[in-house]
Amino acid sequence: MSQPSNSALPSLSTQSLGMSYGARQVINGLDIALPSGKVTAIVGPNGCGKSTLLAGLARLHKPDSGTVLLDGADIQRLPTRQLATQLALLPQEAVAPEGLTVTELIRFGRQPHQGWLRQWSLEDQRVVQHALAAAGLEQLADRSIDALSGGQRQRAWIAMTIAQQTPLLLLDEPTSALDLGHQIEVFELVKHLAHHGRTVVMVLHDLASACRYADHLIAMREGQIVAEGPPATVVTQDLVRTLYQVECTLLTDPDTGSPLLANVRRSSVSG
Amino acid sequence: MKPTPVRSSVLNAASARPNRIPIAPPQGYWRLAWRSRHGDQSVLLERRAVTVNVGLLGAFLLASVLYLSLGSVNVAPMAVLHALFGKADVMANFVVQELRLPRLAAAACTGAAFALAGILMQTLARNRLATPGIIGIDNGATAFAVASIVGIGVSIAPPAMALAGATTAAVLTFGLAAGSGTQGYRFIVAGIGVGAVFGAVTQLLLARVAIDTANAAYPWTVGSLNARPSGALQLLILGLVLGLITALMLARSLTLLRFKDATASGLGINVKRRRLEVLLLSVALTGLAVAVAGPVGMVGLIGPEIARSLSSSRGVPITAAALAGALVMVLADLAGRTLLAPIEIPVGIVTAVVGGPWLLWILMRPQRSFT
Repeated sequence: MSQPSNSALPSLSTQSLGMSYGARQVINGLDIALPSGKVTAIVGPNGCGKSTLLAGLARLHKPDSGTVLLDGADIQRLPTRQLATQLALLPQEAVAPEGLTVTELIRFGRQPHQGWLRQWSLEDQRVVQHALAAAGLEQLADRSIDALSGGQRQRAWIAMTIAQQTPLLLLDEPTSALDLGHQIEVFELVKHLAHHGRTVVMVLHDLASACRYADHLIAMREGQIVAEGPPATVVTQDLVRTLYQVECTLLTDPDTGSPLLANVRRSSVSG
Repeated sequence: MKPTPVRSSVLNAASARPNRIPIAPPQGYWRLAWRSRHGDQSVLLERRAVTVNVGLLGAFLLASVLYLSLGSVNVAPMAVLHALFGKADVMANFVVQELRLPRLAAAACTGAAFALAGILMQTLARNRLATPGIIGIDNGATAFAVASIVGIGVSIAPPAMALAGATTAAVLTFGLAAGSGTQGYRFIVAGIGVGAVFGAVTQLLLARVAIDTANAAYPWTVGSLNARPSGALQLLILGLVLGLITALMLARSLTLLRFKDATASGLGINVKRRRLEVLLLSVALTGLAVAVAGPVGMVGLIGPEIARSLSSSRGVPITAAALAGALVMVLADLAGRTLLAPIEIPVGIVTAVVGGPWLLWILMRPQRSFT
């Protein structure tokens, strides 16, 4: 499979993006640029607008103002299928129709590359095999999705997005329902994908995993960006307090150099 | 990752000599491939789907021969085949060609149309209860068509009225479920309410006309193939052919509509547009079928259910559902014509008597497990 170099990766950015959820304005005037070939994590407290931002980036919801730009072009103007060859999305708590096997799910990733008279090519076969291998699912290829563990199931869904062969991958809380071991399975796969020339953007509710696995952090609160940059430079005690109203002690991971949150406790503002 | 360069060099070698690498179709499929001026083209056929469709077609053809053969005058199956080509005796020719064949066509086409409309609506709503019959579209079409039949100052042909009624009911159901979309119980409950109102309107219309007119219209309001308005069948055949073609063109999108909207959209499906197309198709098929046979909505539930229980879960069994619907309708009308002869039971009553217990069985049976 061809591995696009960073310079060839399309860029994803927003220009004074404003979005609402129902009648409530969730984000307003947001300008961000996502670093190509890196893992970006969007973090923040519940209701800060991080999932809404991701929905905007993936064109699931229409912005009320501003634009999302893919290589400088407004994504609202792109045909749906063309967008699906550039940008893959793993929504939160994705559900497969019952009885589908791992390989059958992964094959759906080829959808944007196929047509009525182009249903199964050598390329499709090769990419599906590659996606199975990349996600470490070769042994489980014919297993039903319903019969997998949480981590395996999430890897199967990511494998589907791998088969989509898009330079951009958006994940909405990919580890929210998983135990620690399964979370690591998923994060390592995500990291592996970024190393192989994909731009990954994920919404995470867990700041500690974001520090550990993201190259770039976007911290949001009440629809605004509070901090942006590499975790090691942007994560401070002040930021953690601003985001979650908690106090903590910051350490540095001796193995990876990423920030570690220790002794997290409630802020005692009024005693 | 270290193994990657090795893997990609192998793959590059493969792409340089594409003919040397055999393409294995996914498990359980046949792959038809050919080369055209647009490049290499391929179509996948699911083996199980082929078996199921051939089996259902065979069963349908057998049922059709029985249908043509049995009745107040029995014609032997071999004579039926001869009569189809006008080579049997005068009596058999007349019974088969003039009396039974048009009604067989009506049964098969309405069954296929109801079942196709059913599976489309179920897929759209991701709910196997959401068939046009249950969400009130049949009743809307019936009320409007009855209005034209009993002639309350309206003289538009029944198919046009049935289409208008189906559309009105669909608009009302969707309007009342506003905001909650086509998923969830609000949509179903709204549909049941709309259906009840239109059912009452039909009764009211019948109560206001002379008893003879009402009697003439009655079998049709419970679903019958005995009172087919002229021209309605021809329109239905046309609609069914176009509808099947459209549904097959939408097949890939339908398969993906079974996922959440976000997933389908991420895979390049224009969800809103496809939804609207599927909805319009389902409503139109229902309207055209109601114009011929009245509200036989149960077929829209039974047909897709048979097709799904025979098929794999990989796709949406469009043609299998249509064939199963045609089969059910032909058998039901055959039973209705012959069981209590010379009294004829309207086909809508037969399907309800069979379909009710069927529905209960679906609800009660243990969930089937997939392996």
